[in-house]
Amino acid sequence: MLSRRQFLLAAGATAATTLAGRSSAFAADVDPLLAGRPLVRYPEKTDLILLTARPPQLETPLSYFDRAITPNDAFFVRYHIFPIPTSVDLDQWRLEIKGHVDKPLSLSMDDLKKFPRASVTAVAQCSGNSRGRFAPRVLGGQWGDGAMGNAVWTGARLQDVLKAAGARSGALDVTFDGLDKPAFPTVPDFVKALDVQRIMNDPDVIVAYEMNGQRLPMLNGFPARLVVPGWYATYWVKNLSEITVLTDRFEKFWMKPGYRIPDTPCGCVEPGTAPKSTVPITRMTVRSFIAAPANGSRVAANQPVTLKGIAFDGGYGVREVQISDNLGATWSRATLGADHGRYSFREWSATWKPTGTGTTRLMVRAFNGIGESQGSEPLWNPAGYLRNVIEQITLVVA
Amino acid sequence: MRRFVPALALMLVATTAAVAGETVSITLPPESIALKAGPGMDQAQTACRMCHSLDYITTQPGGGAAQWQGVVTKMMKVYGAPISEPDVKLIEEYLATHYGPR
Repeated sequence: MLSRRQFLLAAGATAATTLAGRSSAFAADVDPLLAGRPLVRYPEKTDLILLTARPPQLETPLSYFDRAITPNDAFFVRYHIFPIPTSVDLDQWRLEIKGHVDKPLSLSMDDLKKFPRASVTAVAQCSGNSRGRFAPRVLGGQWGDGAMGNAVWTGARLQDVLKAAGARSGALDVTFDGLDKPAFPTVPDFVKALDVQRIMNDPDVIVAYEMNGQRLPMLNGFPARLVVPGWYATYWVKNLSEITVLTDRFEKFWMKPGYRIPDTPCGCVEPGTAPKSTVPITRMTVRSFIAAPANGSRVAANQPVTLKGIAFDGGYGVREVQISDNLGATWSRATLGADHGRYSFREWSATWKPTGTGTTRLMVRAFNGIGESQGSEPLWNPAGYLRNVIEQITLVVA
Repeated sequence: MRRFVPALALMLVATTAAVAGETVSITLPPESIALKAGPGMDQAQTACRMCHSLDYITTQPGGGAAQWQGVVTKMMKVYGAPISEPDVKLIEEYLATHYGPR
């Protein structure tokens, strides 16, 4: 069945025109959630959308998600506690590996760089990305959709580091602590844990000291951060300073009750209700976005428009991206860009030719390597995690 | 060609030293957000600012008295915010009045 507005599916069709419409740095004029949020420029950062100043939480404007790699200076920032480190001297900094190990280590940056270099291109996404769109609304950081980014991370494999320290048998959890410290002793320090088997079975979990070929920006974790591809960024501890091997489960505040989802197959519950039991949040759900043209743009009737965006999931890789211009009645396949690996943003593009005039909604959905996709109705949980409803933009055809 | 070799060697040494001794420092911008004027504003500012900037309040969805009571209770019980009993009431009322449903 042909839709009213026909898709031209050839990738990068040369007939595509540049949009003459608005291209505001962030679409606050059409996104009420972001209204009143200023663009701010923090150290080593370009203009980002301010969520909170202390601890800093900065959101990436959606316009950056028309490409696979997010620039370091545009990468989102999220801290939990304050003070955060604002000065790190590499002569002084050490990464301690301690606890249930044969040989505790105190690694300098030079020591860390002696481990074999490993690289992975992976999406860091806040568990609560898009929380501000939950209905009923939930408390917590009211993110739009920009608490995500994709970079090439380079560093030492965590399993190599743990082997060097000689994690002993009986090890169960490994905890990660950074240089950010609470203002008061009663505020729980931000410490996260991974199962030791999760680490030893996954060579892509790395202690990264490079991001897109550069040292990390301070606000993204200088001098080193944990990278846990496929899993939400809550585990990607920044400004890393201590790794501790434990013989029991670590269940302090930011693991329990923090960062948990309903123990149901969808990680969701009936909106407005409480889950019976919870589990730690782990793998990311499938998402896709249209970044260009910007939401609310004007386009010319009968002129082909190039739609661009990204899609990603929790590590099975994006298999297909589809576009609909008729509220999901029919879907057309977009063309996928270069494959940077199963943990990366996958760029996509499609050429769309508006034939009528008026307001048109465009929707995007993705499928991953095991057939998981996105729903037309949002799933709900009380913490505002895992959002992956089908996204849409509105274009004005004139 | 030969005379360039020592220069190159020196450059490499200098580069290594610069990396080994690297200090990265940043200065965070000041907080600029202000709360709406009203009874309890001073107490709310003092209590909340102990741990975080005030945009933590202004960006939350508008909620009624129950929401803000829950938030204040959480700040005290979970994070240990030291707020006196009279101030608790005042702050809850202030937040519900000025950052209520909208």
